[in-house]
This record gives sequence, C-alpha cells and structure tokens, in this order.
Amino acid sequence: MNLSDPDSMNTIISKVLRYGVLLSAAVIVVGTALLAAHDAFSQSGSFLTYNPNQVPHGSFPVTFNGLVAGLASGAPMAIIELGVLLLLATPVSRVLFSIFLFAAEHNRTYVYVTLTVLMLLLFSMLATPYIPIFGG
Amino acid sequence: MLVLELMLIIFLASIVAGVIGSLVGLGGGVVVIPMLTIGLGVNIHYAIGASIVSVIATSSGAAATYVKDKMTNLKVGMFLELGTTTGAITGALIAAYVNSLTLELIFGVVLLLSLIPLIRKIGEDIPATPELTGLSEKLKLTGSYVETDGSTVKYNATHPTEGLAGMVVAGLISGLLGIGSGTFKVLSMDLAMKLPMKVSTTTSNFMIGVTAAASAGIYFVRGDVNPIIVAPVALGILIGASMGARVLTRARNPTVRKIFALVLAIAGLEMVLRALGI
Repeated sequence: MNLSDPDSMNTIISKVLRYGVLLSAAVIVVGTALLAAHDAFSQSGSFLTYNPNQVPHGSFPVTFNGLVAGLASGAPMAIIELGVLLLLATPVSRVLFSIFLFAAEHNRTYVYVTLTVLMLLLFSMLATPYIPIFGG
Repeated sequence: MLVLELMLIIFLASIVAGVIGSLVGLGGGVVVIPMLTIGLGVNIHYAIGASIVSVIATSSGAAATYVKDKMTNLKVGMFLELGTTTGAITGALIAAYVNSLTLELIFGVVLLLSLIPLIRKIGEDIPATPELTGLSEKLKLTGSYVETDGSTVKYNATHPTEGLAGMVVAGLISGLLGIGSGTFKVLSMDLAMKLPMKVSTTTSNFMIGVTAAASAGIYFVRGDVNPIIVAPVALGILIGASMGARVLTRARNPTVRKIFALVLAIAGLEMVLRALGI
C-alpha cells in the first residue's frame, strides 16, 4: 500500500467502497436472520411505532451505550444497526482516503477542501446528538 | 401484520423499486418511499430514514466501479460536496420540524420535478468551452475525457459559486427527503457550470453517497432508521439496482422507461393529493 501513488490510492478507494458495502450487507443479513428467528411471528405494529414527541423516535438502540449493550447480548436490532453504521462509514472513509490522494498530488487547496468535507461529515455523525435542535 | 410478512413484502417491494429506479435513471429511494408510505402505511420519517441508508449502499456500490473511469471529476465533486453536505445537514435538521403530511407534499412535488428530464432530454450536446477565470481558475475546475469515438473532450467549469449554491439546494432536498437527488445535482452542474452531461452524471453519482452520509448520521441518532424497515429496504434496493443495471446493458427500451416514468408521476400526484386532503 503506497499512499503517495494516485493509482494505488484509487485501487484502495475502490476496494474500500466495494468491501464496505459487502461487509455491511453481510452484517445486516445476519441481524435480519436472527430477528426472523426471534420475532418472525410477532405482530409488527409495536416495531413500527413512531413517537414524534421523544428522541430517539423509535424503540431500538441508537446510542453508543445502547448499541454496545445490544451487541454484547446479540440483540438482532443492534446487529442490523451495526451494519447500517458500517455502511455510513463507507463514504466517510472514501473522503478520508481522498485527502491522501490530494496530498500525494501536493494539491494543498484540495487537501483543505476535502478536510472540510470530512469535518462536516464527522460533525453530522458525532456532534449533532449533543445539539438539541437536531433531535427535533 | 406479522413481522416476517412485513419484512418480506418490504424486501420484494424494494427489489422492484431498485429495478425501476435504475431503469428510469433515478435512485431506488425516490421509488421506495411512495411504496412504503402509500402502499404499506409506514410513517414517512421511517421511510426517509431507510431510504437515505439505501442511497449510500447503491451509490457506494456503483462508485466502486466508477472510481477509475476518467469521466468523474474528483476536484469538481469534492468542491461541490462542500455545498451538498452543508445542504444535507440543514435538510435533515429541517425534516425534524416538518410534519408527515407536509413532507409527503414536498416529496410528491420533488418526485414530479425529477421526472422532467425523462420527458425533455436536457444538455445532450457538449457545451462550448468557456474561459477558465476567477474562482474556477483558482480551484482548477477543468478536465478532459475520451469520447466513445476516441476524440478527447476538454472542458472548463464556469460559475462555481452558482454551482455551489445549486448544490446546497440539492443537498437540502436529499437531506430533507432521504433521496439521492441526482437530478438536481446534474441540473446545477449542467445549467450553472456548463459541464458536459457525461461529466455531470458521473460526478453526481460520486457525490450522492457522501451527501447521503451527511444526513444519514443525523437520522440514525434521531431514531429514524428503524432496523425492521431499513434491513429489507437496503438489501432489496441493492439487489434490485444491480439487477436493473444488468437488464439496462442488455436492453435500452425507451417505452419501458416512459411507462415507469408515468407510474412514478401517478405516485407523485397521489402523494400531493393525499397531502392536500383531496
């Protein structure tokens, strides 16, 4: 892996995208299979309830602690959400690798542009949970 | 309805949405949202949360094969992502304060607008190459690609500020409604920046995943990404889109496109009428 060669960087980016999607799809499939084994013949109504007046709006784990606890106990919902998070991480890592790509071309302007895009992505994922207006 | 039943129906509907989406040249999200809301009575917030995640899946999957093509302009894409991600975060923020009916109304209108390029072909011919000046020159918003006949097309982008503003709007629509909003990205690259159509469409594909990730994170922590819905939607659209892409290379039938476009127009109209209580 040579971070200063644009061609090998493109290969890495292409692989990150492909395997990121495949990995997350595989995790979602596992979670779905477990969910089916647990709750296939339960009524779906309670799973679809949307509570507009509370955040989070659903009754499935979305916080870091909730997800870790869910994963530790092998909860199907938490496994599916882990797959979703892996999918979310895919474009983020693409942007991250693009920074190396521009750095290899000594293109300082675009290193900053890409860094700003990365910051915006990280802001949306890591900071908005702590900013009440984003909860709705 | 039983959980198994619901998930199977959503899964099959999403495969169909993925196929139709790639046949018509729209994302699967714009097709699956009316299916979930009108067809299955799923809350539109959950439909949007599931759709935006599936947008990341299909665009990343497609982008993996596009990375090495010389059509995509990485510089133009990255510069414009400053606008799309800002818009997407704003859109996801606004979505929290818009009620379901208003969202359905906006969605219906956007769906109808997205169909315009299918009826009226836009920007087919390559625009004259404008001078590279000002911000475009500073950001080196230029490039070239090889046409199918072997000739090299050189192009320069103009009006980067207007293009960026258009991208904020495209990102806003994407973040608000949970769709890729590729049509709106292509439109502003085509109309404002005067980029060749092939560059606009591939660069738009490149930006869709990153734009979607910016709002998906917000939807996730807000609790709008419901595992029971997102699992069959994401897997179904991923399968459907790759099936559609395979069919597409074998047969390019304008009649099929028109039929599906008509079906989508009816769905859009239905959402508008429903939201208005007619």
